Amino acid sequence: MARFLIRSIISTIVTMLLVSMALFFLLEVGSGDITVKILGVFSTPEQRASYRSQLGLDAPAWQRYVDWLAGNDWRVKSRVGYPLVTIPNKESGEAEWWADVEGQPTRWKLEEGQLLALKRQGDGSTTEQIVSGDWQTDESGAEFFWGVDTKNNAVKWMRGEGAEVWVLTKAGLRKEGDGPQTYIPLRKGLLRGDAGESLQFGRPVSATLWSRVRNTAVLAGVAFIIVMPLALFLGIIAGINEGKLLDRIISIGGLGATATPEFVTGIFLILIFGIWLKWLPAVAIFTSANAIFENPLLLALPVMTLTAVELGYIARMTRASMVEVMDSAYIRTAIIKGMPYRRVVVRHAIRNALMAPITIIMLHVNWLIGGLVVVEVIFGYPGLGKYIYDAAIFGDFNAVEAAAMVTVTIAIATRLIGDLAYTLLNPRIRYA
Amino acid sequence: MAIAQPTAGVRPSRWQQMWKSVAIIFESRVATVGLAMVLFWLLIGFISLVWTPHEPNASDFIQNLPPNGTNWLGTDHLGRDITSRLMQGTQVILLKTRLPGDSEISIPGGVAIWGVIGSLVLGVTLGLNAGYRGGWWDQIIMQILDALIAFPRIVLYLVVIAALGQGDMVVILAITITGAPGVARLARSLAMDIKTRDYIRAAETRGESVRYIMFREILPNARGPLLVDAMLRVGYAIFAIGTLGFLGIGLPPPDPDWGNMVNEARRNIFSNQTAVIWPSLAIATLVIGLNLFADGLREELTRYQK
Amino acid sequence: MKKNIISREQMEEVHPQIPKAYDQFTQGRISRREFIRMATLLGMSASLAVACGGGEEPAAEPAAAPDTGGEEAAAPTGGIKRGGTWTGSMNLQLLDHPARLSWVEGANIVRQIGEYLTETGPDNITRPYLLEKWEASADVKTWDLFLRKGIKFNNGDELTADDVLFTFGEWLNPDVGSSMLGLLSYLKGMESVEKVDDYHIRLHLETANIGVPEHLFHYPAIVLHRDFEGDIIKQPVGTGAFTLEEYAEGERAVFKRREDYWRMGEDGKPLPYLDELIYVSTDKDAGVAALQSGQVDTLYDPRPSDFQALKDVPGLVVRPVSTAQCLVLRMRVDLEPWDDNRVRTALKMCQDRPKILQLAYFGEGDLSIDAHMAPVHPAYCEKDIPKYDPEGAKALLEEYAAEKGIELPLKVTLATKNDQAEPEIAQALKEQAAAGGFDISLDITDPAGYWDRWTEVDLGITSWTHRPLATMVLPLAYIEEAIGAWNETRWFDDEFTTLLREAEATLDVEARRAIMCKLEDIMQERGPIGNAFWKSIWNITHERFQNVKAHPTAYDLLYDVWIDE
Repeated sequence: MARFLIRSIISTIVTMLLVSMALFFLLEVGSGDITVKILGVFSTPEQRASYRSQLGLDAPAWQRYVDWLAGNDWRVKSRVGYPLVTIPNKESGEAEWWADVEGQPTRWKLEEGQLLALKRQGDGSTTEQIVSGDWQTDESGAEFFWGVDTKNNAVKWMRGEGAEVWVLTKAGLRKEGDGPQTYIPLRKGLLRGDAGESLQFGRPVSATLWSRVRNTAVLAGVAFIIVMPLALFLGIIAGINEGKLLDRIISIGGLGATATPEFVTGIFLILIFGIWLKWLPAVAIFTSANAIFENPLLLALPVMTLTAVELGYIARMTRASMVEVMDSAYIRTAIIKGMPYRRVVVRHAIRNALMAPITIIMLHVNWLIGGLVVVEVIFGYPGLGKYIYDAAIFGDFNAVEAAAMVTVTIAIATRLIGDLAYTLLNPRIRYA
Repeated sequence: MAIAQPTAGVRPSRWQQMWKSVAIIFESRVATVGLAMVLFWLLIGFISLVWTPHEPNASDFIQNLPPNGTNWLGTDHLGRDITSRLMQGTQVILLKTRLPGDSEISIPGGVAIWGVIGSLVLGVTLGLNAGYRGGWWDQIIMQILDALIAFPRIVLYLVVIAALGQGDMVVILAITITGAPGVARLARSLAMDIKTRDYIRAAETRGESVRYIMFREILPNARGPLLVDAMLRVGYAIFAIGTLGFLGIGLPPPDPDWGNMVNEARRNIFSNQTAVIWPSLAIATLVIGLNLFADGLREELTRYQK
Repeated sequence: MKKNIISREQMEEVHPQIPKAYDQFTQGRISRREFIRMATLLGMSASLAVACGGGEEPAAEPAAAPDTGGEEAAAPTGGIKRGGTWTGSMNLQLLDHPARLSWVEGANIVRQIGEYLTETGPDNITRPYLLEKWEASADVKTWDLFLRKGIKFNNGDELTADDVLFTFGEWLNPDVGSSMLGLLSYLKGMESVEKVDDYHIRLHLETANIGVPEHLFHYPAIVLHRDFEGDIIKQPVGTGAFTLEEYAEGERAVFKRREDYWRMGEDGKPLPYLDELIYVSTDKDAGVAALQSGQVDTLYDPRPSDFQALKDVPGLVVRPVSTAQCLVLRMRVDLEPWDDNRVRTALKMCQDRPKILQLAYFGEGDLSIDAHMAPVHPAYCEKDIPKYDPEGAKALLEEYAAEKGIELPLKVTLATKNDQAEPEIAQALKEQAAAGGFDISLDITDPAGYWDRWTEVDLGITSWTHRPLATMVLPLAYIEEAIGAWNETRWFDDEFTTLLREAEATLDVEARRAIMCKLEDIMQERGPIGNAFWKSIWNITHERFQNVKAHPTAYDLLYDVWIDE
């Protein structure tokens, strides 16, 4: 068992790595010039090139992948010469990068050729100090300095030859002298919870992502709690009554519900219950961040839509499994032996029949997430699925990558749990 | 394995073999019903190549008409005939794929079909290698497949489309990538089963190449379950194309696409509900047909093999 | 309602041009609306101008508030109730510097916090807002702006000329990247903006321009606080009636009423009447459903299909308004085949305008000529709507094809975005132009995909927003200097440009209309665009909201909206 566990975990880690590579390279390499999207079509090639280097896009793809995944402060630290730390901004709460110069958080800037150290004070303000003595000399005799700038980059300035750079400020592109030669945008990396900045909203992806994950978890959780018992019950009933009218109704109904796309179900549920009858809120309007807790009815129609699609599928699985079990030798024997039918079903058949659906359900989480994307888009539900959809439409790669990684993690985790549950439930299986 | 296993003596003729395979279908009522539904849509598709009641893209009528004598299923929000559009909607799914660039050129075989063929080719190649060669081949291939399977399907579609943009080819690629892992797993388990058979041993002793054994000996004997699986996959693919169309990121206009028809009709659902129902029904019936067909076929095949 | 009599002398006192305009008005040569606009333009207070115009002075007009005009101004007196929440559905994107706004949705957020120097009302008349009044010199080159006194920002500071100067500085700073910079091209940097005293600013224009008041209400033109640092979300300081409580991109924006707002309500207490505003970010489809089920009270800029869905819903009030918003069929005149005016004219002739309007907009709009001037623009010169003429088009194309030695049909690709009504227009045009000898293939992408290349495609349908004056839009897109910016067609014409400059300096409506006639002719005859119709837009709001105004640019003006349950 322990060996099986270790093997699963190793395999999971490798899988996650492969997934992250696939995601990163597909998006970053597969798509065109992202700076056009950010700077707009009127930006000049010169502006775009300058901005590309500020985003660190001139680094090789594998390097950017490592940075994205694992961060780069540990790599850049040796160049700057001090440990790099993040301190939340007093006003916005967003993390800022600082070099820890003997306990003193410091950043630098170049102003008219003059190197200035910005020292952070306890109240969040900074003091400036000229530090001309800190220039270093390379082999060719040129003087340079590696430091942290005010925009969370590790940068290399060359003395006396400040580069002209196009800086994207909150107020547009601005051309500045005194620019650095090289930029390395500092990041903590996905593994440490830093997914970078959303290109669409200009805020850290992690700032918005978690509330979306929470909303989706609530939606999926409620749907799961409703669908599971109902689907298993219907499946078992159908399985016991194989070939009878009840089975026919459940089977055909289930197939029909599964084959009806969730967007169609959703549209008609909105029309009927939200608009014609006005019994339930038509769409998920979140007038506050906690709207689903204040008004749980908002969940009603999205959950019904998910139920309609999922119910049929799981019920059919359960039915098939039940039919197989009821057909098996040991159940027949039990019945022939004269055991009460009800007891045979409850004691023996159901337990065995549930084995298959439970693992399938775990694998099915993948599918559920797919359904969630559509349902959230229809109902305007601010969850993970809509987040991915919006980000993909916009081409917001950082957001797509982070959100997709979350879904993949959920899918892999549930699969692992499913494997374990199966092993535990089924004494006949022993993993070597 | 009576049909699959070649006997030492006379092989049945090709025609006989084919008829035998086809005859299985009609032994199952479920498969027959399924096949009828699929054939119905295929027929509609072929008819639409030469004839539709009206020009599918022409706004010749009043908008949002209910079903009537001229427009059997009514008209949509642009005053186009829904019947004609529904008929032509089968084309992009089942019958033709538009090449990128000039939208005039299309190749036979719809997007769903090519997507499934793509995933079959990719999946079978990977699966056979993993299953037959085993060892490191198996480990590595399975690991990659695990990674692909880990993606929720729609998320993977979204990622592919975010990276590559819209188009028939992109949808085919997305279906290929999402379908291949499933096919590969099936092909692998079949290959692992078949490779223990005597005739494989015999081929190995004859000194046949690995490729020959995989594609000439194993593959023909694994095709039954693979075909059944492919049938189901066409269903998934149609479903997925519908969903993508609904999300506005599926097959590009101007050719009608069922998912997109639902999406456009949704905006006008308050004045015209039927326009949403028809393409939804089309997707559902075609998917159900393929499901039933595959289910029935599988049941018959297993029974036959027992 | 007593009728104000205002003597010619009084008019003359304000501006010598006003009595002349008054004569034109009484002779029926200009409409009441044009007269009022012109009088206010020349510095007459709006209510005075309305009075001259022989109209009824809007009832119960709060002394300090500018005239809101339109039928809504005659709202029931008394019985105003305070309190309540207004909820709207609108897409919320990244928002930082108001001067950089490029989308009206963002402006609707900012407009609740901050305010403008002027206001162009739903009736297309521009009035003073944060200004008390303005005065233009006879040559329209010097503009005096007089700031209203006693207006406080929500941080307690008083609004003075310094704030206005700071704001002008942001607009005119190329680094900020404000679209105001292009509009104010007649100002030569901050040296053209003079602070006379704390409440008096003087603009020295390089070239005469009558559009200054309208420009000051362009949606990025919010007046900023002098300490503004570039992000309105982090620093939501403004003079507006509401304060920002929460802004979450893609989710929601929440505003609370401000206690010490400068305008007074009818009950003598400060506006606004509403306690809270909530914008929920949804897509339009979800928004329509939410509006029908009563989850939100209104929907930002409903599409024609939304209008269809909502127009008969009980409990909702639909307020339509004609606009100068349009979807132009624009052709790149530097590329084949559109460099040949015969081809352009042929395509224009292929527009079956009533049918396009019907298909794309359910007939909700005004048919248009192939020029970017709308009937709602003052000084618009009435022209006949061109007929659908595929034969004529074919004849032109045949001539062109024979010369070029090519075969008809002429294959072209029409690019546009899958948005409001563009696919419908494209679809309709494809069918209509087939008879004229065109073979149009459609290239319809999502909106972002089209905006990435809107100036680049050779044939496209681009949506243009409403601008209150024709002289505001024409220099943006149809002059040589605009190539590389918003001149998507690369078309310019010397005669056209000269006349346009003349129009920009002509205050007299009649004289300007004469120029407009020529401009319209030139555009129709050899211009780069086809334009089938001007959109109507609708404000669709729950009936319990009173004083709601439908604005041609879908601006949400909420400071005096109140709820009657």
